[in-house]
Amino acid sequence: MVKQSLRATVDESLVKEWIDKIGRDSPATVPLLQAVQSEYGYLPRAAMDYIVEHTNISGGQLYGVATFYSQFRLKPVGRHKIKVCHGTACHVRGADRVSTALRFSLDLQGESDTSPSGGYTVENVACVGCCSLAPVMVINDDVKGDLTGALAERELKKHARKNKEAIGVK
Amino acid sequence: MNAQNFEIIVGAGTCGIAAGSQDVYNAFKEKLPNANLHSVGCIGMCHREVLAQIKVDQNQSYLYGDLTKKNVSKVIDYHMGQGELPQELLITSSDDKEKINDYLGNQTRIALRNVGKLDPTSLDDYTERGGHKALKKILQDGMTPEQVIEEIKTSGLRGRGGAGFPTFMKWQFARNTKASEKYLICNGDEGDPGAFMDRSLLEGDPHNVLEGMLVAAYAIGASKGYAYIRAEYPLAVKNFTKAIEDATKAGLLGKNIMGSDFSFEVKVKQGAGAFVCGEETALIASIEGERGMPRIRPPFPAVKGVFERPTIINNVETLSNLPWIIVHGGKEYASYGTEDSKGTKVFALAGAIRRGGLVEIPMGMTIREVLEKVGGGSKTGRPLKAVQLGGPSGGCVPEKLFDTEISYKAINATGAIMGSGGMIVMDDSTCMVDLAKYFLDFTQLESCGKCTFCRIGTIRMKEILTRICDGEGVMEDIDTLEDLAAKIKDSSLCGLGQTAPNPVLTTLKYFKDEYIGHIQDKTCKAAVCKKLITHTIVQETCIACSLCKKGCPVDAITGQPKKLGTFKINQETCINCGMCVEVCRDDSILVK
Repeated sequence: MVKQSLRATVDESLVKEWIDKIGRDSPATVPLLQAVQSEYGYLPRAAMDYIVEHTNISGGQLYGVATFYSQFRLKPVGRHKIKVCHGTACHVRGADRVSTALRFSLDLQGESDTSPSGGYTVENVACVGCCSLAPVMVINDDVKGDLTGALAERELKKHARKNKEAIGVK
Repeated sequence: MNAQNFEIIVGAGTCGIAAGSQDVYNAFKEKLPNANLHSVGCIGMCHREVLAQIKVDQNQSYLYGDLTKKNVSKVIDYHMGQGELPQELLITSSDDKEKINDYLGNQTRIALRNVGKLDPTSLDDYTERGGHKALKKILQDGMTPEQVIEEIKTSGLRGRGGAGFPTFMKWQFARNTKASEKYLICNGDEGDPGAFMDRSLLEGDPHNVLEGMLVAAYAIGASKGYAYIRAEYPLAVKNFTKAIEDATKAGLLGKNIMGSDFSFEVKVKQGAGAFVCGEETALIASIEGERGMPRIRPPFPAVKGVFERPTIINNVETLSNLPWIIVHGGKEYASYGTEDSKGTKVFALAGAIRRGGLVEIPMGMTIREVLEKVGGGSKTGRPLKAVQLGGPSGGCVPEKLFDTEISYKAINATGAIMGSGGMIVMDDSTCMVDLAKYFLDFTQLESCGKCTFCRIGTIRMKEILTRICDGEGVMEDIDTLEDLAAKIKDSSLCGLGQTAPNPVLTTLKYFKDEYIGHIQDKTCKAAVCKKLITHTIVQETCIACSLCKKGCPVDAITGQPKKLGTFKINQETCINCGMCVEVCRDDSILVK
């Protein structure tokens, strides 16, 4: 679970700490963004602005890098994160049904990847490297393997009950 | 026997953990608190996770699989002298020399030799199993960098990351470049969906990878190094970081290693999720803090790489072979394999295969031998149709070519590539057009956008493939695909674009009939492409249990529970997601 969720309030002293530790020049770009994201679950505007003002990294470079790598996101994230593996083995063994089941259970409409209540964010990832357990999803850091659509839904419901999260109707 | 003196090792790689190894570990800990219990990396038998080995004494050991929180008590009871030996869980034991497991028995493990056997967080464990012998041989017995390069030349080792460039040759370029500072980078940005050997090596035997880095750094004269590891592999990052700390404390890393003049330091850099960063110049850009876009070569990284210094980038598996080669000699390594491909290769065997996992086999084995002898054949009982080698850069090898030997030359001749070692097995429930679309989807998203044909050409190819899968294709589409493929290959700067069309080209070459079926007959033989199939209920076998109705996400199924013949699927609302097929207990959903 990410430490803070949805729209976060950025603690500038934390960002300063990371900058002091990691560095102020170009090679620090990715590690700095990783530090911000691991704290807030996404890259809040305020943290980005602070980095641009207090390092030698330009806004263009920082946003360029943030939008290039799939790890980074600029939108807030739900309280829990579900990664659905869409590696080759998972694709062949039905990852699509896992995604469909989750999208319907969480009532995700259109392009949205976060449930209306802010409980869950569902992301497709390329490969988590558990190909023999395909298809696989990862709830926060917990890997669930050998899924079907129905089993994925059951795991989600179990998780939601345990964490007192409201999910969609079905 | 005194069960308290046992040594118990539980497999706890990422896949072991996913299968529940922590529960099994805890059960052992609770019942046998004084046993010498520890976690190791993944032994590679992913199909039988959770795995545990019990060493009763020097000569007696048992390997168990399929363990769960519940059944582990059977194993414990047996070793405490109560109950029968749980045969169904036993994989192999020292009592039973005949029963050498097919899966492990048909492999030759060099890179993976320690994985799943030692505690990856313990430097002592590594030393005990013969670690740092290569380093000693180089630094204390005195091998010159030239001798190291010569030894690797004799071994015939080629880069295991995908391109297969001779390792010694790359080193030679960097060795010959004069510079005040050189870099050695370990490429652990394993992006190929379906390959996970680098993860397993970094998680399960990090000190071996580190020793490999030291060998390479010594050969080229590097004093600084990076281990570039995917952020999606948290356990690999953790274990490797610990290995660096421990080795530094033990004087095996840092200044004047083992009292010699050789100094080398390593930092871990976490990748941020970009497939293109597997490409050398893109990876360098990423380390420098830029968008990971490839640069024009020359200058090659061996001449001008990270921060403009000569840089060698070697793949994790390549590095893992080095300590063994230095200790046993290049000749010994070259005794495995074929004329053009020496040694062994690790494959991640997955998909419709009975025994999936990480397997290391000598080059020259045929694909069929790997699938049957090691993998145990089809998982589903349905006939195998093809294997996909090399991921998004590779291609599909059809069943009729399964007797192809595994070597760079023979695999390339089929149109696929050796790649980093993903081997996905497919039975007749995989649609080859859909698979081609899947890979194109992947490469299109991962294209960095620098070269026009890779950036836009892949989108056009994807559009055409989508059209074909939707039953809206025309015969000219096949020619357009071939034309675009040739242009993308010719006009892309890096390996991503140059190989992106391979999945389409190989499926067109071997499975053209499926493309034609989609275009002319509007049918998908494998019943995968959603717009070309329908789901209907077979009334003769339906027992009206209503599970399908409950499972349907769009409420397309109507019917009264327990009333036979009332269940129907509304074709207007059905999205052909297949969820009903999964839950139906008596195969009463017909997909056509």
